[in-house]
Amino acid sequence: MTEPKLSEDIKKVVEKWRNKKGSLVMILHEIQNAYGYVPRETSLELSKYLDVPLARIYEVITFYNYFKLEKPGKHRIAVCMGTACYLKGAPVILQELKELLDVEEGHNTKDGLFALDVVRCLGCCGLAPVMMIDDKVYGKVKKEEIMNILSEYGKEE
Amino acid sequence: MIKLTKENFDQHKTGIPAVGKNWIKVGMSTCGIAAGADEVYKTFVEEAKKKNLTVDIKKCGCLGMCYAEPLVEVHVEGVPQVIYGKVNKDIAIKILEKHVGTKMLVNDYIFDLSLTMKKVGK
Amino acid sequence: MDKKIVLLKDTSIGAADKTKEYYSLILNLLRDQNLQDSVQVVRVADIGFYDQGLVLKILPGQVTYGRVQESDLLPVITETIQGNKVLDRLALEPNEKQLRIVLRNCGQIDPENFDDYIAADGYAALKKVITEYKPEQVIEQLKASGLRGRGGAGYPTWMKWNFARQVKAEQKYIVCNGDEGDPGAYMDRSVLEGDPHSVIEGMMIGAYAIGASQGYFYIRAEYPLAVERIQKAIAQAYEYGLLGKNILGTDFSFDVEIRLGAGAFVCGEETALLASIEGKRGTPQPRPPYPSIKGLWGKPTVINNVETLANIPVILLKGGAWFGKIGTEKSKGTKVFALTGKIKNSGLIEVPMGTTIRDIVYHIGGGMLASKGIKAVQTGGPSGGVIPKEFLDEPVDYENLQKLGSIMGSGGMIVMDEDDCLVDIAKFYLKFCVEESCGKCAPCRIGGFQMLSLLENITSGKGTASDLAKMRRIALAMQKASLCGLGQTASNPVLSTLKYFAAEYKSHIEDKKCVAGKCRYLLNYQIIPEKCKKCGLCLTNCVFGAITGNREQGYILDPAKCTKCGRCYEVCKFKAINKG
Repeated sequence: MTEPKLSEDIKKVVEKWRNKKGSLVMILHEIQNAYGYVPRETSLELSKYLDVPLARIYEVITFYNYFKLEKPGKHRIAVCMGTACYLKGAPVILQELKELLDVEEGHNTKDGLFALDVVRCLGCCGLAPVMMIDDKVYGKVKKEEIMNILSEYGKEE
Repeated sequence: MIKLTKENFDQHKTGIPAVGKNWIKVGMSTCGIAAGADEVYKTFVEEAKKKNLTVDIKKCGCLGMCYAEPLVEVHVEGVPQVIYGKVNKDIAIKILEKHVGTKMLVNDYIFDLSLTMKKVGK
Repeated sequence: MDKKIVLLKDTSIGAADKTKEYYSLILNLLRDQNLQDSVQVVRVADIGFYDQGLVLKILPGQVTYGRVQESDLLPVITETIQGNKVLDRLALEPNEKQLRIVLRNCGQIDPENFDDYIAADGYAALKKVITEYKPEQVIEQLKASGLRGRGGAGYPTWMKWNFARQVKAEQKYIVCNGDEGDPGAYMDRSVLEGDPHSVIEGMMIGAYAIGASQGYFYIRAEYPLAVERIQKAIAQAYEYGLLGKNILGTDFSFDVEIRLGAGAFVCGEETALLASIEGKRGTPQPRPPYPSIKGLWGKPTVINNVETLANIPVILLKGGAWFGKIGTEKSKGTKVFALTGKIKNSGLIEVPMGTTIRDIVYHIGGGMLASKGIKAVQTGGPSGGVIPKEFLDEPVDYENLQKLGSIMGSGGMIVMDEDDCLVDIAKFYLKFCVEESCGKCAPCRIGGFQMLSLLENITSGKGTASDLAKMRRIALAMQKASLCGLGQTASNPVLSTLKYFAAEYKSHIEDKKCVAGKCRYLLNYQIIPEKCKKCGLCLTNCVFGAITGNREQGYILDPAKCTKCGRCYEVCKFKAINKG
């Protein structure tokens, strides 16, 4: 995947949306999904390609939590901080992750293996507290289990 | 693919084949999948084939009992229709062997809420 | 005799589950009667009744007995199982607290199978509407139904539709709001995932009524499966000619597209949502003009919530009058709640409006999770409030919840027990709103921040007596002067906890105590010498040097150095550290 320029895939996406009204958010979604963030170079290219000021693109990117400006760690850990999870101990889970990984929320670990995020609600309140690593959801997480869960992701390197 | 019109709509509807006599529905919404419904579904499909059982395995949405996911509903002729909760691979196999195979209900996993809700019928 | 089945479950609360003992007893009795081959006894995990002692259900026939004693078992076998006679003294009334209209198909049909939906009477309402009804008649049916918006505010749906219908414009839009942002609510996700076609059908009927030719689904990007299922359902509807030009061979044409939300709570607000669909920052606009007059790209636009739309096909099929008979005087139909928190059966429930909170918590939710007592129920999420246990018998409807200082909201219902600190909960919700404030207007941006810092002071032991009055004043300013619903309601959790749990705030401020033991900085740790085995584990784990001593003399914790991290409390195997 070459990031800086608009890849052919992204170009195709942009073409698909070009003539639709109000498509900027949807184009950014596609870029975010492809790279895990919106690289500055891509935004620059996009600005030229769509003839939209860069400020207008950044205004949108920075407004929405879903769009990231930094390249994320290899595995994204999302700790659910919805009300049900909060009541059932999500803050303890988050604290344990921060200590084990030596990282603050919203940042990557030093080795770039994990990114730690806090999310609003994953909609699995029946399984609270919940965390998600990449696409896998872990329900009824206990503090003691976290080390084991994380080690599954360390091994494959 | 036919286009539905006001004229052929009812005909299409009556032409839809009825569900088989024996079926298993697996709840496959986000919460069910998070709790392991994918593996349960796969187990049903593979094991039913291995055991040569005639039973339709279907996917469906969320029944709402998140605390008991993964949930499956089982209908076998001659046995009351029931919902099993907290199903895993082993229980799925048990359900096939006992409930589908010998028409006996499986202990400890039934969530019987049939007297707790009314549904809007047709 | 036909083969019978006995389901059993010991539903006693606060005692050991004796289901297995009763199971063996019944098996023995059946063997004595030589019935072991004609009756199957089955232990179940949940029998739909709670706190009713031993519950037995005999199939077929569904006869259900509660509070069954050992001495009753023999009569049950000889009289009911063998003699088909119902023992009135044991019989339980059906516990039919739930009524499923919105969730009618969820868990019943395969959401990815078009014919499953058709076979469940899907699109029959659409066909009826576009072939038999004038748009005015659709609105009349909705008026008769009394359906109100399920997104939170409870505005009558027919009025919204009627406004948009009466505006003359060459283009109108209908939008489905699936940007479910309340943390702890997931009704809309479940409906979109479990029965996507019903939402599409509801939207099409709305489009026909107001004269819209284009619809948008606005769905959270965090719900990938919901997006996928709606996408598939839309594609199927196009294939079968239920979307596009001349639907079902009539003059009605309608197109639908999906737009994704991108993680901004404020986009649940109508005008912010529209800005987001237009590809812009989701900042709200002053109303009026209301979207039904001037909405998406300046055109009349109706915005309906997922649950609202899922109600529509049933209403049109069974008639508005039928729907109007369900619920209370001003709140009709049912409401779906995401029942979570410290409750046994967390999940989605659907109850007729007017059901009491007690019924929901104890007869559907199965009671409290642990032995701790219930403290309060929260509804309405960050815009709502708490309802203390004194009001458990109040019926749930729009007006009544408002009277109690909360709101119906989108349907989050969170049960809290004595371990939960209401000041901490108020802080949790306010923090959410402060983080999600778009920053456009000052009352919300500055007021929220200031109120949050007061709450942070209170929970860390730095609160002063004047703080509560200050918070009330800020709350009032935010309510009156904020631009949109987010700011206007952000103070609700604070106000309602202040109203009902003022004593808890006071003990935080005056006594520097958190009764629930949640607020970390108000906790005090102490080593209890009688329980201490002098193992020294606490000493090695205290990185702040607050614990001193040795294996001979024991250990002491210096409160002045303690950072209240709780590490010693966790590692102590002998429960020799007191937290309080």
